[in-house]
Amino acid sequence: MNPESSPPPTVIDLIKVSKVYPPNIQAVSDVSLTITKGEVVFLTGMSGAGKTTLLRLISRMEKPTKGMVDVAGMDVSKLSERDIHLLRRKVGMAYQDFRLLPERTVAANIAIALEVVYCPRSLIEKRIRELLEQLDLMRKYNTRAGELSRGEQQRVSIARAVANNPEIVLADEPTGNLDAETTARVMALFEHLHRKGSTLLIATHDRALFQNTSHRVIELRFGRILSQSRAEGSDDDLFELAPSLLEEIEP
Amino acid sequence: MRFWAVVVRHACRNMLLTWKSQGMTLFTVSLSVLIFSFFYLVYVNALHIGEKLGDDLRLVVYLDEDPSLPLQEEYRHRILKFDQVERIEFISREQAFKRFEHILGPNNDVLTGVPTDFLPASIEVYPVRTLDSLSRIKRFSDYLQTLPGVLKVQYGKEWIERFYAFIQLMRVITLLSGSLLIMTTTFMVAHTIRLTLFARQQELELLRLVGATNNYIRTPFLLEGALQGGIGACCGLGALLVLYNWIALQFAGPNAISLPAFAFFKWPAVVAIIGLSTLLCVVGSFSAIRRFLHL
Repeated sequence: MNPESSPPPTVIDLIKVSKVYPPNIQAVSDVSLTITKGEVVFLTGMSGAGKTTLLRLISRMEKPTKGMVDVAGMDVSKLSERDIHLLRRKVGMAYQDFRLLPERTVAANIAIALEVVYCPRSLIEKRIRELLEQLDLMRKYNTRAGELSRGEQQRVSIARAVANNPEIVLADEPTGNLDAETTARVMALFEHLHRKGSTLLIATHDRALFQNTSHRVIELRFGRILSQSRAEGSDDDLFELAPSLLEEIEP
Repeated sequence: MRFWAVVVRHACRNMLLTWKSQGMTLFTVSLSVLIFSFFYLVYVNALHIGEKLGDDLRLVVYLDEDPSLPLQEEYRHRILKFDQVERIEFISREQAFKRFEHILGPNNDVLTGVPTDFLPASIEVYPVRTLDSLSRIKRFSDYLQTLPGVLKVQYGKEWIERFYAFIQLMRVITLLSGSLLIMTTTFMVAHTIRLTLFARQQELELLRLVGATNNYIRTPFLLEGALQGGIGACCGLGALLVLYNWIALQFAGPNAISLPAFAFFKWPAVVAIIGLSTLLCVVGSFSAIRRFLHL
């Protein structure tokens, strides 16, 4: 049997998932979604459509009110507090509110994600430099995160999310505060991760990010999946935003 | 190995972050250990002195006449029924006379013409030299007084009772200072750990999000407690050693009053005190983690 012909395994599987916040706010309603290994999915929709909630459910920051969330072979809603780290090590998340430690340096903020998996110091240093180079933040290596602009903080948050090459990367509005050039750098980083086999789920309402992509685009509205579309194109031109720039910065 | 390197680094960072309260906690732990170990040292030495003094401890039961062998057995049986003793010796009138003669040494000629049975027969009871038997000695004496044919029971009543009262007092003070040690160390450490937890709350939440295990997050706080307990105990015992040496110096010299055999703690006791303090601080730290760290 040719292994290439077998379908890629499912890494994220949501079955009829609902999330209700008290008192009775329906953030996600009966969402079913399957994402296979190595896939890139854009999640779009207006503010309040349920994009962030969906990402929070996948990373087990929230438990679903109803339905099943299966991530990397783990039933997330049944995952005990003791075992939650097993999931979090497979899922890297770039948060909309960055969640950086303002008193710590950029390098220290990124190092956290590598320290928890007991990565040797030399490798941590190497990886941090590599990521900062890619995101054009090398000069901020020793700057405190609190002193950075929002765009820079966003990039540090992304660098931390991808630092230990997670199986799944969840990015919540990763380019919300970035200019076109920096957006291109971030997308180049995502492309690099995608080529290495990571699965990416990017929540954004920046249409420019997925306009020319061949990847699945899921539109949410009022907590429900409104549509799923796959643009035409091949795997070689997945991220067509500012292609000339991409060529320059591609690792 | 990597785990412990990270844990040590985090614990040191925690301690630097709240260094003021860490200093206060260290001072409190040291002071508590100093107070407790001071009284414990006095208590242990008092016990030791008691044991030495107890070498001469015996109850002398004077009898109205020499007991026959079956009566001796009866006495022995009744004595052992009341308490365990080290040994029982029956002294006949003649043996008593010979002893007295021996004690008088070159002056024993004063006994010339005195009948050899003028001293009463007696039983010498040597109790087991433990604090418990010391505490029971009065009751033992009262019991012996009730035996048939007993004229009088003698023992060094005054010093034994006073000494026993002193030992009892020291025991109570040591227990109280031990309770103080337990309360202050656990409370202070729990309070400091709570402050550290609040100071690092944002980081702890983040650690959880990036895949840190519960042990990765909790262990530095337990280590912090252990370090406070260990270092605090070392400082407290160090201060006690300085105090001990200073006192010993004051009593040294040819014209000084000599201290009875008063010794500092032996190594096992030192290790036990440090271990106890460390354990208590870990318990304090653990209680703070349980209450305030919600993972």
